[in-house]
Amino acid sequence: MIYIAILIGCIVGAILGSLAPVIPYTYSSYLSIAIIAALDSVFGGIASVIKGNFDLKIFLSGFFGNSILSIALTFLGEKLNVDIYLAAIVVFVGRMFTNLAIIRRHYIDKWVNIIESKKSKKNDFDNEEMKEKQKA
Amino acid sequence: MKGKITMTICVGCTALILTMIIFTQFKTVDETDITAIETMRETELRAELASWKEKYEEIEVKINELDNKINEYKQEIDNNANTSTVLQEEVKEAEVYLGYTSLQGQGIIVTLKDKDDKVVTYAHILQLVNELNAAGAEAVSINDERIISMSEIAKVKDKLININERRTTAPFTIKAIGDKKYFESALNIKGGYIDLMGAEGIDVSYTVEDNVIVPAYEGEQKFEYAKENVEKKKEEQK
Repeated sequence: MIYIAILIGCIVGAILGSLAPVIPYTYSSYLSIAIIAALDSVFGGIASVIKGNFDLKIFLSGFFGNSILSIALTFLGEKLNVDIYLAAIVVFVGRMFTNLAIIRRHYIDKWVNIIESKKSKKNDFDNEEMKEKQKA
Repeated sequence: MKGKITMTICVGCTALILTMIIFTQFKTVDETDITAIETMRETELRAELASWKEKYEEIEVKINELDNKINEYKQEIDNNANTSTVLQEEVKEAEVYLGYTSLQGQGIIVTLKDKDDKVVTYAHILQLVNELNAAGAEAVSINDERIISMSEIAKVKDKLININERRTTAPFTIKAIGDKKYFESALNIKGGYIDLMGAEGIDVSYTVEDNVIVPAYEGEQKFEYAKENVEKKKEEQK
């Protein structure tokens, strides 16, 4: 159910984004920072789902809050003549990689477990067969 | 169940917003011309502005140089115009002296006619021209042939007289520009030209006029043998 919602959201968003007018290049830098922040929130959300402490409020507040905050900080940096957006990118992308690492480990563990369980099942089956043969 | 529905909707909405923004950004990055001024970052604009300023200054210097050159040329043109007008005036003056222009002014018109068997000869005309020149004639013509420094008054045959290599016969009309009183008195003086002609029996008559028109010399003046004396000129320059 939730996967269907995500899929529909992605498709509709892609269509709307393709139809949307081109924004000025000066504002596109702010938008790119917002995208990085949002992606960071998404990966964080996925990681928290894996950990089992996912909270919708925290996810949504992080999604929008981080985006808006990163835009605000970039704006401030431009005013102060400091490239704050570089720090934002470093932080967000770094966190994205850590979250991706968590997700990767989780799924690799899962995969390894499945294989091992299959193996053990097979071993069990073999053992049973042996036992039956011995009985016979 | 209710929480699950809200969660589904919220996650769907976030996915929608995120993909929408991402695609908008893709489109923006794709479609904007990075070299256009509107899309340039401030630092790039600053660099561009600095380079343009430099160029502007260079061009300004060039403009100043060219302006100066133009002024120089203008001055030269002015000078040339002055010299050319001076030259033209000189040429005109020279033409007047050489007899290439028709002149007018106060003067005298003398007519010499044959009388009975007395014929006007070239000597009579020559004498008259000489007298007129002595009285300060500035321009003289015989039968509308301008007398210049190279003009000849020569006998050809019988009554024919060559003037400027053209043949004419009596009656002769001699026009001269100059002080008309001088002319009158020079001709009328006792023992003068009119007396002499009267003695020789030639019909002489003259009229003094305020506006005598002397025509221009129509031939060509050529120096075939005469050349400028270079040595003398050098001496003069020294």
